[in-house]
Amino acid sequence: MAEDSQRNFRSVYYEKVGFRGVEEKKSLEILLKDDRLDIEKLCTFSQRFPLPSMYRILVWKVLLGIIPPHHESHTLVMKYRTEQYRDVYHALQVIRFIKDSTPQVEVFLCMHQLESGRLPRNLAFPLEPEDEVFLAIAKAMEEVVEDNIDCYWLVSSFVNQLNNKYKDSLPQLPKVLEQYLNVEDNRLLAHLKACSAVSKLPYDLWFKKCFAGCLPESSLQRVWDKVISGSCKILVFVALEILLTFKMKIMALTNAEKIIQFLENIPQNNTDAIVSKAIDLWHKHCGMPVHLV
Amino acid sequence: MAQQANIGELFSMLDSSVLLVQEDITAVFKDNLNSDRGPMLVNMLVDYYLENNSQQALQILSTLQEPHDKHLLDKINEYMGKAATRLHTLSLLGHVIRRQPSWKHKLSQAPLLLSLLKCLKTDTDVVVLTTGVLVLITMLPMIPQSGKMYLHDFFGIFGRLSSWCLKNPGHVAEIYLVHLHASVYALFHRLYGMYPCNFVSFLRSHYSMKENLETFEEVVKPMMEHVRIHPELVTGSKDHELDPRRWKRLETHDVVIECAKISLDPKEASYEDSYYSVSQPVSICLQRRQIDPNASPYIETHISYGTSTSTPYSTPRLTLSQMQGQLPQILSPQSTRLSTEPQQVTIWSPSAVCGMTTPPTSPGIVSSESSQTSSQPYSKYFSTPAGGKGTPLGTPATSPPPPCISDDFVHVSLPSAAATPPKKEDKLDPGRPLLSRQQNVINSEKALEVPGSKSSVNLSDLPEFLGCLASDEDSVEKDREEDAISKEISEITTADAEPVVPRGGFDSPFYRTSESLAASQKKPLSVASSVQGHSLSSEPLASSLDKSGPEGARDTPKQAFTPIDRPCGASDESPAGNRVGQSSMETSILTPSPCKVPARRRMGFGSGQPPSYEHLFEVALPKTAYLFVSKKTEELLKKVKGNQDEDCTSSTSPMEVLDRLIQQGADAHTKELNKLPLPSKSADWTHFGGSPPSDEIHTLRNQLLLLHNQLLYERFKRQQHALRNRRLLRKVIKATALEEHNAAMKDQLKLQEKDIQSLKLSLQKEQARYHQFQEEHDNIVAQLHSQIRQLQHDREEFYNQSQELQTKLKDCRNMIANLRLELKKANNKVCHTELLLSQVSQKLSNSESVQQQMEFLNRQLLVLGEVNELYLEQLQHKHADTTKEVEMMQAAFRKELEKAKFCVQQQSQRLDAFQKRIVELESQLSKKDHLLLEQKKYLEDVKIQARGQLQAVESRYKAQKRITQAFELEILDLYGRWEKDSLSKKLDDEKTEAAEAAEERMDCSSEGFADSVAGYSEEAVGRNGETKPPSTRGSSNSKGGSSSELSTPEKSQNQRMGQFSSRWEASMLLEPSTSVPLTVGSLPSSTSFLGMKVRELFRNKSESQCDEESMTINSLSDTLKSELCKDPSMVEAKAPSSPINPSPSPMNQDCSVGQLHIMDYNETHHDHS
Repeated sequence: MAEDSQRNFRSVYYEKVGFRGVEEKKSLEILLKDDRLDIEKLCTFSQRFPLPSMYRILVWKVLLGIIPPHHESHTLVMKYRTEQYRDVYHALQVIRFIKDSTPQVEVFLCMHQLESGRLPRNLAFPLEPEDEVFLAIAKAMEEVVEDNIDCYWLVSSFVNQLNNKYKDSLPQLPKVLEQYLNVEDNRLLAHLKACSAVSKLPYDLWFKKCFAGCLPESSLQRVWDKVISGSCKILVFVALEILLTFKMKIMALTNAEKIIQFLENIPQNNTDAIVSKAIDLWHKHCGMPVHLV
Repeated sequence: MAQQANIGELFSMLDSSVLLVQEDITAVFKDNLNSDRGPMLVNMLVDYYLENNSQQALQILSTLQEPHDKHLLDKINEYMGKAATRLHTLSLLGHVIRRQPSWKHKLSQAPLLLSLLKCLKTDTDVVVLTTGVLVLITMLPMIPQSGKMYLHDFFGIFGRLSSWCLKNPGHVAEIYLVHLHASVYALFHRLYGMYPCNFVSFLRSHYSMKENLETFEEVVKPMMEHVRIHPELVTGSKDHELDPRRWKRLETHDVVIECAKISLDPKEASYEDSYYSVSQPVSICLQRRQIDPNASPYIETHISYGTSTSTPYSTPRLTLSQMQGQLPQILSPQSTRLSTEPQQVTIWSPSAVCGMTTPPTSPGIVSSESSQTSSQPYSKYFSTPAGGKGTPLGTPATSPPPPCISDDFVHVSLPSAAATPPKKEDKLDPGRPLLSRQQNVINSEKALEVPGSKSSVNLSDLPEFLGCLASDEDSVEKDREEDAISKEISEITTADAEPVVPRGGFDSPFYRTSESLAASQKKPLSVASSVQGHSLSSEPLASSLDKSGPEGARDTPKQAFTPIDRPCGASDESPAGNRVGQSSMETSILTPSPCKVPARRRMGFGSGQPPSYEHLFEVALPKTAYLFVSKKTEELLKKVKGNQDEDCTSSTSPMEVLDRLIQQGADAHTKELNKLPLPSKSADWTHFGGSPPSDEIHTLRNQLLLLHNQLLYERFKRQQHALRNRRLLRKVIKATALEEHNAAMKDQLKLQEKDIQSLKLSLQKEQARYHQFQEEHDNIVAQLHSQIRQLQHDREEFYNQSQELQTKLKDCRNMIANLRLELKKANNKVCHTELLLSQVSQKLSNSESVQQQMEFLNRQLLVLGEVNELYLEQLQHKHADTTKEVEMMQAAFRKELEKAKFCVQQQSQRLDAFQKRIVELESQLSKKDHLLLEQKKYLEDVKIQARGQLQAVESRYKAQKRITQAFELEILDLYGRWEKDSLSKKLDDEKTEAAEAAEERMDCSSEGFADSVAGYSEEAVGRNGETKPPSTRGSSNSKGGSSSELSTPEKSQNQRMGQFSSRWEASMLLEPSTSVPLTVGSLPSSTSFLGMKVRELFRNKSESQCDEESMTINSLSDTLKSELCKDPSMVEAKAPSSPINPSPSPMNQDCSVGQLHIMDYNETHHDHS
């Protein structure tokens, strides 16, 4: 109790001075110390604060249900997961879908396909759009996570979450984006409408791939923190912030194709700021999640 | 030179007969004079005038403006030095001065004055002297201040000329002397009037000398009789009268009037001072005395007045008329009889209208006309008031106004009314009110204006005197007068009127005649003109006489007072003057033209009134009027003549002498002319009488000149009077206005007083009411006060009573309290006593009972004593046995008690032990509960943990399943290929079958995908049961155990599958009809192991492998450690019954297993805990 109050007492000052994330690590550690991890609290924390990178994988795995909340069973469950991975991997090797030389991402894809029962009859089968999404996410995740097994599980769980949990809300996001853009900068919206680029914006890239391949991994991690912790709306604000940040350039461009081309290849140098602003904007519009810690 | 010539021409044209030319030339000259400042033109004009005696030149010169005056005076002065031109120059100077030029003040500085004085001192020509004196007299009032330095010169001239008059050094004709005397007389008046002290001192010094004494006696003394004592003689001094302050306020005409005031001569005197005389009551008395004895002197005097001045008559008449005018308002019946008087009034008003001493029209005509022609009275009346509005105003001082009191008028009017003939009554009534009102106003004004100098005696006397006059003498005198007048008129009419044209001033009646003449001349009656003119001229006289009869005595108190008046008749016949005059008249011939012109001119500028009266002349034309008038005048004249002889006692004034002279002259002239035929009247009479002696002519001419001079002088005086009149008129108007204003203010005052009175009245009423109210109020207040007092009194009484009662009450209360106390005390005593009594009674009873007890006890004591004695006896017998028993019993009881105590102790100890145990047990129970909770929690935890692990395992399992599926697919694929190859290569016999099998395989493989979904759903159902994977594993293990051909279970499975399938195919081939190919066949590989099991069961049925199957199920159930050992039997029971429906049975089995497992879980948990 005394520890808690002390921490709270300080955090007030830290926040006042403008430091962020100083106390987060500690509080996260406290959270993670609990046997039987409290998933709701972790969700709130993740939505509220950026996750420290050393705990990110663990938190993600917990949040995505790859490992159970009990510390006890972690090793066991992970053992199972590893075995499962190996089995599948082996099976794929047996049926000669993959070789040693096959890129990890494709291995993941095949494994995922196999697990979901959608394994094509042979490798020559053309890739479906959802497979492409998977590939992009896996690619991004591969950068973040070192361990293959963890990576596979995270990718697979992430995609499953997108397909299951956000199945209904994802198609609504373009409309929401338009609505917030009207609030924030209706001139830009008017311009986009005038260019008839509104409907052609890279929604697949933004919302289905969750900016995988659009933003560098360092920035992407923070976005995915929120997505994994249960909010897909952050994607809208990131998109909105991208539009606002590159407003001048977009306004300068009058062709829809050019705009989209530009948006699909935005400069990578300032993405951290964009994401920070987007998170602020998200907090502003959707309210700060209650600090449940 | 051209200009000179031009001017010469102009001069020639100056006296042109054409009027227009004359005017033009005059204008040219005036323009020239305005532009040119040089002396030349003036000099030439003077020369021209002196040469030609041109009237136009005179006109121009007399109107010269400022810058030319010096030249003119120089020129005149120059000519004055020359004896030849002196006379003309003097007359020119006279003309100029009489015009009163703006530069007249310069005269005193001019050398001309010195030369004039010198001339007067030295000259010997009477004509020159007379003219000069007249000029000087005219000049004196103009330079009153600056002339004082020449004062001694003036006096010297006076002395010289007065002695000249007497001594006649030049031996000139006496007729000249008359003129000279008149002018000296005027000079005397002027000097006396202006500088009385100096003049008197001069006279004193001058005539104290013996050589001058005669002159004084003869000339100066008579003159002094005509003047009053100058007030300055009393108040002033020599220096004072020369004081410039005295003269500063006075204008020229003021000076003239000032001089005239002190004159007693009616001709010279101003009527202004008439009231001085009137104011003296003595005069009236004198008058009365004079009137009463004889009427003749009156008449005579009247005549003389009438001829000389009409003014005195007019004024009194006016007053009378005013009195009578007021009368009708008061007494209407008598007013009618006064008609004659009003008539006269109306007639006379014109003369008053003029406001001058002389009426411009002949009132006589009007009177006669009005008396006889009654047809037009109204017009007259209307005209007269209209014209006469100003008359009374203009003559404020003339009337010796009796302060008009209405009562007096009644007195006056009554007698006069009686006297007047009743025939003329009715005509004048309508006009009267108008007139009377006017006069009323005037009268009041006069009354105001005239200061209180008039005594009341005078006023009261006048009416009485009037009444006497009217009653006694009116009728008689009138007749007489009429006779006399008519006689005289007839006499006059016989003579030619024209030559008589008088030269007198405006004051004089001559003017009237001349005017009337002029009027007559206007008329186109050539033949009758003379007669008419006569009649007209005579009319004033007649009328004057006519009126003088009845009222003269009253009207002329001042004249009557003057001692000079009476002798006038005598003077008329003063031998020398008259005779000379007559003779001269007879001989003298005068051209009418020069006389007429001035007359006309006088009419022109004299006053504006004359034209308004011209119509009266026309009215007056009827001959009857003339006849009447002439008759009267004749009578009067006769009388006058008769009387004239009688009255010669007093000296006459030189003016009168002159008048007489002229009159006589005129008479004589007419007589002379009458002898001649009429038409030749205007012709030169020398034609008939031969050439007259030049001396005579010269004399006549000089005389004419002198007369002219005199006339001009008189005219000048008249002008001064006119000026003064105008000023006085203004004052009067102001006074009237003030008067009216006053009256209005008085009215207002009255009204306001009335208002005030009414207000006072109302105030008084209000006060009275207020008093009444106050009294009532006081009464009420007093009543109320008394009531209050009474009530207060009552209240006090009541109060006293109540106090008394209260004190009584208090006493009573005290008494009650005392009584109560006493009562209490008594009660206490009673109680106490009762208590005592009861105690006592109790004690008594106690004592009684005690006594009884005592008795009883005593008895008992006795009895017991006896018993005791008995017991003592018994005790002595049985004492040893009883004590042992008691002791034994006591010991037994003690032991029993100890036993019981021990027992109780034991029980309580046991109880404590139990209680402790209970507490222990309870704590244990709670611990256990706690433990239980913890266990529960833990169990939950573990459950969750297990679930997580299970999920992982499940996913792994799923993955495995997928793997196997994939493997199966692969295997099937490979089989497919292999079979195809084997079929095509080895088996030719079984071509058809292989082909069918291949077809079937293809179908299955194709359907595999389609049914995968269904498999999933089955899996989902099966997922609930955890027993499945172990069971499968178990089964697989068992199978693996049974078929240990392959290292990997998958392979063995595959192999087995292959075996099964081959078998199954065979069975299918064997009995395709019996089996249900769709349901079973549709699940060849992809479906679960259950399906395979079913198939195995189905297959093994025929092979009687039921035991095996049951065994496997048993093994499954064993692994679950469940107590439900009967399940296999149930399964067994079911299994045989479900070969027809294989698919649902495993489902049910699974479900039941799941349920059981859950129950079992709970049970195991219980056990565990």
